[in-house]
Amino acid sequence: MKLRKYLAIALSKLANHICIKMGRQGVTWAGKIAITIYPDILKELAGEIRNKIYVTCGTNGKTTTNNMLCAFLESEGQSVVCNSTGSNMLNGVISAFVLAADKSGHIDADYACIEVDEASTLRVFPHFTPDYIILTNLFRDQLDRYGEIDITMDLLKQAIDEAPDCTLIVNADDVLSASLANQTGHRIITYGIAEPCDENPASASEIREGRFCQICGAKLQYDFYHFSQLGSYHCPSCGFMRPAIDFNAEDISLGQGLHFTIRDTTDSYFPIVSNYRGFYNIYNILAAYAGVKSEDFTCEKIEPILANFKPENGRMEQFSVNSTNILLNLAKNPAGFNQNISAVMEDAKPKNLIVVINDNAQDGHDISWLWDVDFERFSKANINRIIVSGLRAYDMELRFKYSDIPCEAILSVEEAINEMLKDNINNMYILVNYTALYGTRKLLKAMEEGNI
Amino acid sequence: MELTIGHLYPDLLNLYGDRGNIRCMQKRLEWRGISAHIKEFQLHDNIDFNELDIVLLGGGSDREQKLVCQELQSIKSDFKQYVEEYGVVIAICGGYQLLGSHYQIGAETISGLELVDLYTRQEEGRLIGNITISSDLFDMPVTGFENHGGRTYIGENVSPLGKVITGYGNTDERDYEGVHYKNVIGTYLHGPLLPKNPELCDYILTKALERKYKESISLSPLDDTAEIRANKYAQGRK
Repeated sequence: MKLRKYLAIALSKLANHICIKMGRQGVTWAGKIAITIYPDILKELAGEIRNKIYVTCGTNGKTTTNNMLCAFLESEGQSVVCNSTGSNMLNGVISAFVLAADKSGHIDADYACIEVDEASTLRVFPHFTPDYIILTNLFRDQLDRYGEIDITMDLLKQAIDEAPDCTLIVNADDVLSASLANQTGHRIITYGIAEPCDENPASASEIREGRFCQICGAKLQYDFYHFSQLGSYHCPSCGFMRPAIDFNAEDISLGQGLHFTIRDTTDSYFPIVSNYRGFYNIYNILAAYAGVKSEDFTCEKIEPILANFKPENGRMEQFSVNSTNILLNLAKNPAGFNQNISAVMEDAKPKNLIVVINDNAQDGHDISWLWDVDFERFSKANINRIIVSGLRAYDMELRFKYSDIPCEAILSVEEAINEMLKDNINNMYILVNYTALYGTRKLLKAMEEGNI
Repeated sequence: MELTIGHLYPDLLNLYGDRGNIRCMQKRLEWRGISAHIKEFQLHDNIDFNELDIVLLGGGSDREQKLVCQELQSIKSDFKQYVEEYGVVIAICGGYQLLGSHYQIGAETISGLELVDLYTRQEEGRLIGNITISSDLFDMPVTGFENHGGRTYIGENVSPLGKVITGYGNTDERDYEGVHYKNVIGTYLHGPLLPKNPELCDYILTKALERKYKESISLSPLDDTAEIRANKYAQGRK
């Protein structure tokens, strides 16, 4: 009988419950327990999804895109299984389904929105085949963990081949994602930003991936860049070029929230008024929109989701401590960091800045990527004072020193924040990488509530 | 005084913050009132080695390194002459491997520049992690990060850059790291290499100035408190 299955689900839920009580993230542990007891758990539960399964992959924007897609589908009255915490390796995916199962051990859901770490796709796809794969972008990221970007692309290609009937929803502006999609021979839906955006001047010295054609090896030519290697490209040798854009963002205004219009292939226009900040979020919104539109939903009810969006999880999250506004933002790789710098620079007011860099396993032990980030731009960002912090504060101090930007190193994040609060600047940005996020966020919450 | 630094193929060989090495040389010259000119060369550009005082060859992915290899054959003899005439070269990761006669990847052999007596063979597993070495050339240990699938075997008539204190180095033996031949330094250490190892950076700059101006050079000291602190901290990282 299915006794083992019930046991797997019950124990997994219990484990998760205990972890929550203890104030810890128990999601991956719960997943591990479930599949150890009942190896077919993911296959069976995912098989009960009534309509479609979406998988979101790509270096940056996975969690934001996946959660937005989930919210859009729910606004259409659909029930959705989603790994919203961003636990995106096999055990995290398993626990999303297990925790969504009812008492009788079944899933009662129309859709699943699952983000999957690129390197984990080959381990996840034997359990279920997605109907859609959203590919957000491909940037260099933690080379000591993932290896070269070419390795990630090979892995993804193999994984996509395992799902021959699935549709790819791809960022057309990213030459790496577009060439990968092109090579698979799958049905492709594209999104992008066809024209340059005046409010988002591209930095000339950014590191760009894939400058050479993935098909023939010739140097690609670009009409313009949005950021990193995202832009309008073509190969002068074999003719490969940015594919036609099915969902295009136009009339973009960045300001205090992203406003733009989405034009689709039928030339119908959909206005976006959102509380999201940061140019890169245009792509995340486009991806989620393309996802729901592909299932022929109207998207009539997504407006309040976008307008009332409250940033959390350290993605442009706001705190207020002693009348100082503090904006916390996560960046894990050069492309993400460069976009964060752009977001800081959109704010013309004087500000203090703290940069926290760790080198734990989840961050990548190799911190040489700091030198691929355009920190030089901070010299024109109206910054009053900079403190560097975290385990590799001294490396970050050198990074600023060799950009002729003065900074101080204070290893403790708490001391760094307290030091900055003395300044009466009332406007603070804290940029952190992955393992620095949790502690910094907890600290800011406690400070905001007056507990420290 | 002035120096010209040639950065070879930054579009392709730019994997591990190599821009930091260029910036470090540039700043440490400028802070002493010496002009630094940076020349970036792209594939198919003509390179006149007579104009260059320092050449930086960085690391790239295997795919990109192969693209470079074909091109390198056309500059091989000029580059060889530059090296034999004590031209300064700093070659890192993939660039280090390219200095040798060949790079063996399974059944495939990629021809190198044949500038230094060494060759590289890809072997099982990658050697990844923080690394610290001691070098007779410097008082301070040299520290950085290594990430390579190739094992590099250096010839009997060339010296390693240093002895491994922690990390792997040229091979799995954890004995020696890098190579030093005339004014060529090849190493697997990135991080990038130079900012945390100011002595090594100044050594390169001194050699280049001495070669260019044909006189003994003693660079004025800089305040390296931050560099030394970062170096010492990195030595202790697992």
